[in-house]
Amino acid sequence: MRNRLRVAIHTLLAVLFLSSLSSLNVAADTLDQIRQSGTLRWGGDASGGGPYIFQGPNNQLTGFELELAAYLAAKLGVRSEFVAWEWEMLPQILDRGTIDVVLNGYEWSAEREQLWSSTVPYYVYKLQLMTRKDDDSIHSWDDLVAQPGEPRKRVGVLQGCAAERYLEEQYGDKIVLKKYSELTSVMGLVERGQLDATVQDVPIGIHYNPDFPGLHTVGDTRAPGYYVAYVRHGDDRLRDALNAAIQSAIDDGTLERLYKKYGIWNDDQLQLAEVATDWPPFAAAAESRWANLPHYIGMLLKAAWTTIQLSFLSMPLAILLGLTVAVGRLYGPWWIRLPFEGYVELLRGTPLLLQLFVIYYVLPHLTGVSLPEFWAAVLGLAINYSAYEAENYRAGLLAIPRGQMEAALALGMSTPTALRRVIIPQAVRIVIPPVTNDFIALFKDTSVCSMIAVVELTGMYRFLFQSHPRLMLEFGVMTALLYLAMSYPLSLVARRMETRFKNVTA
Amino acid sequence: MIKVHNLVKNHGSLRVLDGVTLSVRRGEVATIVGPSGGGKSTLLRCINGLESFDEGEVRVDQIHLHAGTARRELGDTLRELRRRVGMVFQQFHLFPHMNVLDNVLAGPLHALGRSRAECETEARELLDRVDLADKLTASPDQLSGGQQQRVAIARTLAMHPEAILFDEPTSALDPRMAAEVISVITDLAKTGQTMIVVTHAMQFARNVSHTIHVMHAGRVAESGPPDAIFENPQQEVTRLFLAETRAT
Repeated sequence: MRNRLRVAIHTLLAVLFLSSLSSLNVAADTLDQIRQSGTLRWGGDASGGGPYIFQGPNNQLTGFELELAAYLAAKLGVRSEFVAWEWEMLPQILDRGTIDVVLNGYEWSAEREQLWSSTVPYYVYKLQLMTRKDDDSIHSWDDLVAQPGEPRKRVGVLQGCAAERYLEEQYGDKIVLKKYSELTSVMGLVERGQLDATVQDVPIGIHYNPDFPGLHTVGDTRAPGYYVAYVRHGDDRLRDALNAAIQSAIDDGTLERLYKKYGIWNDDQLQLAEVATDWPPFAAAAESRWANLPHYIGMLLKAAWTTIQLSFLSMPLAILLGLTVAVGRLYGPWWIRLPFEGYVELLRGTPLLLQLFVIYYVLPHLTGVSLPEFWAAVLGLAINYSAYEAENYRAGLLAIPRGQMEAALALGMSTPTALRRVIIPQAVRIVIPPVTNDFIALFKDTSVCSMIAVVELTGMYRFLFQSHPRLMLEFGVMTALLYLAMSYPLSLVARRMETRFKNVTA
Repeated sequence: MIKVHNLVKNHGSLRVLDGVTLSVRRGEVATIVGPSGGGKSTLLRCINGLESFDEGEVRVDQIHLHAGTARRELGDTLRELRRRVGMVFQQFHLFPHMNVLDNVLAGPLHALGRSRAECETEARELLDRVDLADKLTASPDQLSGGQQQRVAIARTLAMHPEAILFDEPTSALDPRMAAEVISVITDLAKTGQTMIVVTHAMQFARNVSHTIHVMHAGRVAESGPPDAIFENPQQEVTRLFLAETRAT
C-alpha cells in the first residue's frame, strides 16, 4: 500500500517536472513567432521606474526604454507591447515565455550570460552616491566608512541591482547595507534621515533628483557597466535582429537624441559603438553551481535566525495585547469596550503589509519617531496579530462557565483577581490550539517584513534566487525546509501542552 | 445577623421575588424549601450579591445592600459581604486548573492575600475534616461529585465565613454521595455555624434546621420550626408541597 503511494507520488512529480520543462522550451523560433503575431512583447517594471519607463505627466507611460522598444520593434517590422512585471522577476517570465525580451536597466553579468543571451549594450551606466545636503559627514565614497567610534553608515539600495553588489564587494561589513524593492522610498528614507546614503545608477539619480530637493550627489561616478536586453538561450536569430537594430540606433544618432531628451546622455555613451563590435565579453567558465553553497546556506541560516527573532519577540507582545483587549471588551465599561472593538476590526480588516508601511514610512512623518526597521517589524506583527489573539482569548474567556466567576466572587475575590487567578488561566489552556496556529502563521507572515528591508528568510530567498537564478530550485527547497524545521517543533510543543492540560479544563 | 426585607426582583415581566422578608440569627440553621421556580436560589444569590434586585434591602450585620445601587460603587461592599457570607453551589464550581489543596487555599491566598505558609496547615485540617486528607494533590476532575462538593465546602470554610449559603448542595448527586455531603453539613450545623440551606432533601431539612421557610411564587408562604411545619402546616401551599414530596 505504502509502496503504491510512493509510486503514485513519483509519477505525479515526474509528470509535473516534464510538463514544466515543455512549457519552458519554446518550440518554434521566437523571431518567426514575433513576425507572425506582429508584436514584440518586452518586459519591464514601471513602478518608480523613471527614466526607464514610468508614468508621465498625463498618466501616460513614457521613458527612454519605452521609446527604444518601439524603435527596435519597428526595425523588426512589428509593434512593441509592454508587459509590466516585478523587476526582479523579469528573467523568470522570460523563461516562462510570457515575454520575448527583457529590456529594463538589466546590467550585463557573466552569470546572467550563462542563463540568457544578451544583446549588445544600449547604455553605459555608472553608480553615483547620494546623501542629504545637510549631512556634513559624507563628502566622498571614502566617507561611507565611519570614523572609529561612530555608528556605521546606513546605505540603502534597490534590491538586486548593481549598486548592491558593488557595495557588498567594496565595503562588506563596514557599512549597514539595506535593501529595498521600491526605489523612491529609499530616496525618501535618506531625505528623512532614516538612511545616511543611497547608491543609484546615474540615470535614476538624474531623473529623481528634482523630487528629492534635500539630496545631492557626492563624489565621482564609478563602477561602470552595461545595460543590455536579454532573450532566451537559443533565440539567436532574435538576438541578432535586436543587435542590428541597436547598432543602427547607435549609428544613426537615435540613441543620442533619445538620451539627450531624458537628460542622461554623456561621453561614456561614445564607447557603445566600439563595445558592440566584440560582444559579449569573454566570460570565465562558470564555477560549479555548488561551489558557494555553504556560503549561501550560511546566509539562509542567518536570515532564518532573523525570522525566529521576529516571531519570538512579536508573538508574546501580540498575546499580551490581545489578552488585554479581550478582557477589556468583555469586562470593561463601554468607553473601553468600544475603542477596543474598533481596534480589532481595524486591524483585522487591513493587510499586514499596509500596517507595516504605515508604521515604517508614515509614522515618522506624523510623530517624528522613526523606529529601526527590525523594531518596526516586531511592532507591526505584534499589533496585527494582537487583533487575532484578542478574538481567540475572547472566545476562550466566553467558554469558561459562568459559575467559575461566581465561585471566585463568592470567595471574596475582586473581579480583576478572579480574572487573573481563575478565569484567564483556564482560558489560556483552551486557546492553546488556535494560538499555536496563529504562531505558525505569524512565522510565515514575517516574510512580509522584507518589504521594509528586514532581511528574513523569504527576503533572503528572493535575494539569492534573484542574484543566482541557477540555484532557484535548490534555494527554494532549502528555504522550505528551514521554515518546516522552525514551525514543526512548535506544533510538537503545542501538542504536548494540549495533552498536559486536556483534563484540566472541565 | 442576616435580614432580608421586602425583597423584589423582576425578570422581565416575571416577578421572581415578590416581597420576601426573612431573618436568620447567629448560629441558626435555616432551610428554604418549596416547589421549583419559587425563587429559592434567586433569594440566596441576592443575599450575597451575585444578583441585583429591584426593591427592598439585604442586611448582613452592618453591611447594607439596597435596590438599584450600581454594581460598580458596590465593589468593596460586596467583597466585604462575600468574605463574611460564603456560598456553596449546586454544581460545586471547583477551579479545574488547581488541585484540591489549592482550591481550598484560593480564598485565603487570592482574596485575603495571605501567604501559603500561614494557611496551608489549616487548609489541610479542613480537608481532613471533610474526609479528603488523601486527595490533596488530586485534580477536581479525578473526584466524584460528592468529593467535589466536600472540597467546595472546605474551600468556603477556609474563609471563616460567619454564615454559609448552600444552594441545593445535594441536587446534582446520587443518593450515596448526597449522604456524604449531608453528613458534613450536619456536622457543621452542630458546631453552631450560621447557614441558609436551599434544598429538596426534606428529611435532611427536618433533621438539620432550626427554622424552615417554605417559598412559593416568590414569597415566603410559611416559616416555623421543623416539627410545626411537617406536623401542623398552616398553609395550603405547604400541605400540597409536603404531600408531593411524600408521594415521590
